[in-house]
Amino acid sequence: MKEVRIDCMYETCPIPLLKALKELKKMEIGDILIMETDHSCSITNVIDWAKKQGHNVDYVEISEGEWEIYIEKMR
Amino acid sequence: MQIYQKLFKKPWPYLMGGALLAILNIILFASTGEPWKITSGFLYWGAAILEFFGMDPGKWYYFSVYNNGLDSGETFLNNYYSVINLAVIMGALIAALLASEFKWKKIKNKRQLFFGLLGGILMGYGTRLSFGCNIGSYFSAIPSFSLHGWVFGIFMFIGAWIGSKVLFRYLL
Amino acid sequence: MTSGRIEELKKRRQREFKRKKNQIKYAVFCIIVAIIIYAFFLIHNVNYSILWLIGLLLGFVLQRSRFCFTASFRDPIMVGSTSLFKAVVVAFMISTVGFAIVQYNFIQGVQNISLNDIPGQIHPVGIHTALGAILFGIGMVVSGGCASGTLMRIGEGFLLQIVVLIGFIVGVLMGARHFEFWDKFIISQASTVYIPNYTGLPMATIIQVVVLILLYLLADWYDKKNSMMSM
Repeated sequence: MKEVRIDCMYETCPIPLLKALKELKKMEIGDILIMETDHSCSITNVIDWAKKQGHNVDYVEISEGEWEIYIEKMR
Repeated sequence: MQIYQKLFKKPWPYLMGGALLAILNIILFASTGEPWKITSGFLYWGAAILEFFGMDPGKWYYFSVYNNGLDSGETFLNNYYSVINLAVIMGALIAALLASEFKWKKIKNKRQLFFGLLGGILMGYGTRLSFGCNIGSYFSAIPSFSLHGWVFGIFMFIGAWIGSKVLFRYLL
Repeated sequence: MTSGRIEELKKRRQREFKRKKNQIKYAVFCIIVAIIIYAFFLIHNVNYSILWLIGLLLGFVLQRSRFCFTASFRDPIMVGSTSLFKAVVVAFMISTVGFAIVQYNFIQGVQNISLNDIPGQIHPVGIHTALGAILFGIGMVVSGGCASGTLMRIGEGFLLQIVVLIGFIVGVLMGARHFEFWDKFIISQASTVYIPNYTGLPMATIIQVVVLILLYLLADWYDKKNSMMSM
């Protein structure tokens, strides 16, 4: 039940999504991936994808134009 | 506050965005006779820069064929494209500010800079061959019932596939 | 879809940060500037006022819905998600019907119409279209934004997209400079295909909408196939 943090600041689409995908593969079920990003598309792009994959997911705005996305690996 | 959150803060669903873009494009087409186009405007800006340095791009072969030239009364800076392109930037800026999510996002590294510049040049060159970008040759061309819109869409897909390979190899 | 643990992390994070700065006052300023420009155009050039207003709304919708044509092509390839592609297809269904009505009204009033007079984006199709589209497709994926996405992201404050725009301008200048070569070599041999010339406008509309519906169903099937079951 660990938490993994990845930094996607200043990355452009689709790098955040690909990084999340890569990281999630290495993680155990129940782990939470925390992604910091400032790419406005990620909060729809990554979340849409994570939902479809059946993970628990949510996000919070941490500063102007910066977000933290939480993905709990479910499968 | 609830309405503010819904309208200006939370991202709208893709389907709603697509439908609104389509409706705006129809209104634009019906009221001005021209659907949404972008990239010829970039060429005109580039031509304006060359003009500033004393060159005469207006004489290029390109501008003498296929209605590529300016309409009467327009200049390389004062034309259809400048108005709508600046308006799109302004509209996006207002939307970002209303959501309080505007942020100067700096360039991460040289590699990002290089691929950004390279991608821009590839896109720019491509648009001259195919008479438009993803808007002029795709989003506005398929509804105009021109076959080149469909061809552009199919081969843009192939290009995106090649681009994805490049991205996996060099950017990730 | 959230869970207790995520909620806890969110709460912890929100406590760490003080109330964020509000940018609405800048937004109000920009809206006032936009209205002044609109009024200026309204007096001097009505056509520009329409372009300005629609452009503002297009930019607003693009940013708000994070509409990205690049992702609509890239996501099906990379992660098998077609949410955006489906939205593009729906947009095409709506605009096909709308454009058909506009073109129909135009054609009604004119006798002996030639292909050049029909309003819309109607251009020669051939190898050059394919070549240009492939270059464009590669470019948009590696630079992270298409033409509309580049403009929208400049508005959002991405410095990278200003670089992309500079590249774009260099690219179009090069393309226009070499246009004579391509025109003599390929484009002048290509023909312009306006589908209603062969089927009539009402039939072309129906065919195109049916094709788009089939494309939507295909994308939806692909989307479902790749979600949940995969990995």
